[in-house]
Amino acid sequence: MNINRRSVLGLGLGAAAVATLAACNSGGKNDQAVAGDVPTSGTLTVWCWDPAFNIYSMNEAAKIYQKDHPDVKVKVVETPWDDIQTKLTTLAQSGKLDQLPDIFLCQNNAFQKNVINYGDAFSDLTKGGVKFDEFPPAVVGYSTVDGANYGVPFDNGTAVQALRIDYLEQAGLTMKDFTDISWADYIERGTQLKAKTGHALISGQSGSSDLIMMMLQSAGGSLFDADGKPTIAKNDILLKSIDVLKQLQKAGLYVEVNSWDEYIRGFISGNHASALNGVWILGSVQTAKDQSGKWEITNVPKLDGIDSATNYTANGGSSWAVSAGKQPALANDFLKSTFAGSTQLYDTILPKAGALANWMPAAKSDIYQEKQAFFNNTAIYAQVVDYSAKVPKNNTGAYYYEGRDAASVAMTKILKGADPTTALDEAQKTVEFAMK
Amino acid sequence: MTKTPLRVAKYVFLALAALCSLFPLYFMVVSATNTSADVIGSRLTPGGALMDNISKLTTQQNVGAAMGQSTIYAVSSALLSLLVCSIAGYGFEIYHSKHKDRLMGLLLLTMMIPFAATMIPLFRMFANLNMVSTLPAVVLPTIATPFLILLFRQSARSFPTEIIEAARLDGLSELSIFFRMFLPTMRATYAAAAVITFMAAWNNFLWPKVILVDQTFRTMPMLVASLTSGYVTDYGVLMLAVLLASLPTMFLFLVLQRSFAEGITGAVK
Repeated sequence: MNINRRSVLGLGLGAAAVATLAACNSGGKNDQAVAGDVPTSGTLTVWCWDPAFNIYSMNEAAKIYQKDHPDVKVKVVETPWDDIQTKLTTLAQSGKLDQLPDIFLCQNNAFQKNVINYGDAFSDLTKGGVKFDEFPPAVVGYSTVDGANYGVPFDNGTAVQALRIDYLEQAGLTMKDFTDISWADYIERGTQLKAKTGHALISGQSGSSDLIMMMLQSAGGSLFDADGKPTIAKNDILLKSIDVLKQLQKAGLYVEVNSWDEYIRGFISGNHASALNGVWILGSVQTAKDQSGKWEITNVPKLDGIDSATNYTANGGSSWAVSAGKQPALANDFLKSTFAGSTQLYDTILPKAGALANWMPAAKSDIYQEKQAFFNNTAIYAQVVDYSAKVPKNNTGAYYYEGRDAASVAMTKILKGADPTTALDEAQKTVEFAMK
Repeated sequence: MTKTPLRVAKYVFLALAALCSLFPLYFMVVSATNTSADVIGSRLTPGGALMDNISKLTTQQNVGAAMGQSTIYAVSSALLSLLVCSIAGYGFEIYHSKHKDRLMGLLLLTMMIPFAATMIPLFRMFANLNMVSTLPAVVLPTIATPFLILLFRQSARSFPTEIIEAARLDGLSELSIFFRMFLPTMRATYAAAAVITFMAAWNNFLWPKVILVDQTFRTMPMLVASLTSGYVTDYGVLMLAVLLASLPTMFLFLVLQRSFAEGITGAVK
């Protein structure tokens, strides 16, 4: 049989067309459903991941809600984030949104993308009674689209700089030398530390732009403007961030590693003197039990020469979404009474799971002031909550991941010596092409 | 005399190749007995954390259920697949039709369409039949594979047509010819095909993850994936789960190893 190239191409295009047509979806607004009467019984199904963290917290929230609502059951189905994204895409594209659970956890960076693409899947929570002003604006911003709130923030992604105080001491430095500083100060003091101890400070996966993205957000920068248009080319904050990374690498303070495991090994093994990432990285830091008492945390350095620069940023984090068309009123009431209204919940999950509140009233609780032995008896949770309120907002938009990937490629090229302006122009074009 | 250096080089090369394929297996087994910190530190000797890892894994995850469900899925998928594909391959070779080559070409063409392109229509189809999150929905799309049909067609080619004609003259029905003559002769091909389909089904991740929406049915690869979804991954526990997930395919391969080699090369006894 003679199969020519055209017929193969035709078939492929046909299949692609089916997928694309199915993907076209009108963004529906479901802003009244959550304000309706709250049923007194029912079963809420929840999708989230991480038994030690999210699932544990959700089950604790269920216990608290059931005290006043004994006939409401909560069924948590362990679903990794990648699976939630795949399922959400498949269900939305095949028009089977009724298969979604009542509540699901969504990565903050992917939140706007999903609301914009699959608006029909989400309930608008704006009128549901959750006090969004009790959360830091930067965190609420992730799940806000066109002024409407679609998510109740949960997992805190505030960035921290964790440092080995024993290494600092050897180099004649203290935590103060790394607090409220600029990157220029950081390089100066880091060089001193390296000269005395031989340890590099931080590492990053090769090709990963996490650090750049954190620097960008620390000065309120984004890869997109408020209308979702890419702003990668001629982005001064981005240029500055990449320049800082280049200097860090040149000074030998930043080491590129090949994998996430190697990244973790960098500080657990005592090779690297610090970890700079979302507060969740402290979970991995604490697996090095032999280093108890040798760590402390502080805020992150700020960019030099940028007016909007701050010492605060974020990486990661996630928020609860309520799916439309199931039991939005009940799901909303559940979240309102627990993650957005129960100090008791946060008091339980903080010591057990290290789950930090984004909900500011919870941070007033005594438990946040408790000193942590691993971190040299400092009250790290109170510190993080203080930082989280100061994180500048950034726009993620529908193409955050495309933008981040393009910026990563540009970053790699620049680190290898390419002209920064040209590389960022190319990245801008790549994202514009992806958005067509 | 000149042969010796060549032989040495050959053995060195083979030893290196064997090391490359065996080392990951060794590391997996050893890591299952180590703590997470040891795995990250690339410890290469067995440790004492096996029991600890087992208890952590079994308290976090329902391993027994996932193993059972993976087995049900992989076995049913392999059995149905062998039956359907061998009949199809046999039919393609033995019976004559003007269009059969064209049809075979079309079948082979479907091998070139990536699964991601057919996933959404397939999901829609099962959703419309109210079969989402059911076992048949996971198994059905994996039953007919062009590769297996091709494999059976190739091996049917070496099956002597004279025997079939003689059997027909003796009054044996077409089905009996297939089940009582072809099937026993082609044992090696079946063994090879069984290993291939069982392995493919056992390791299949994307389709089960998409169609098993409510996760009441969860396979081993899905369980392993959820072990890495948290902020802190326990690599010792992860390696133990990966080891458990690899055991059935390893076992099956070892049992059917000889037939597998024969089946792939198309030998008929």
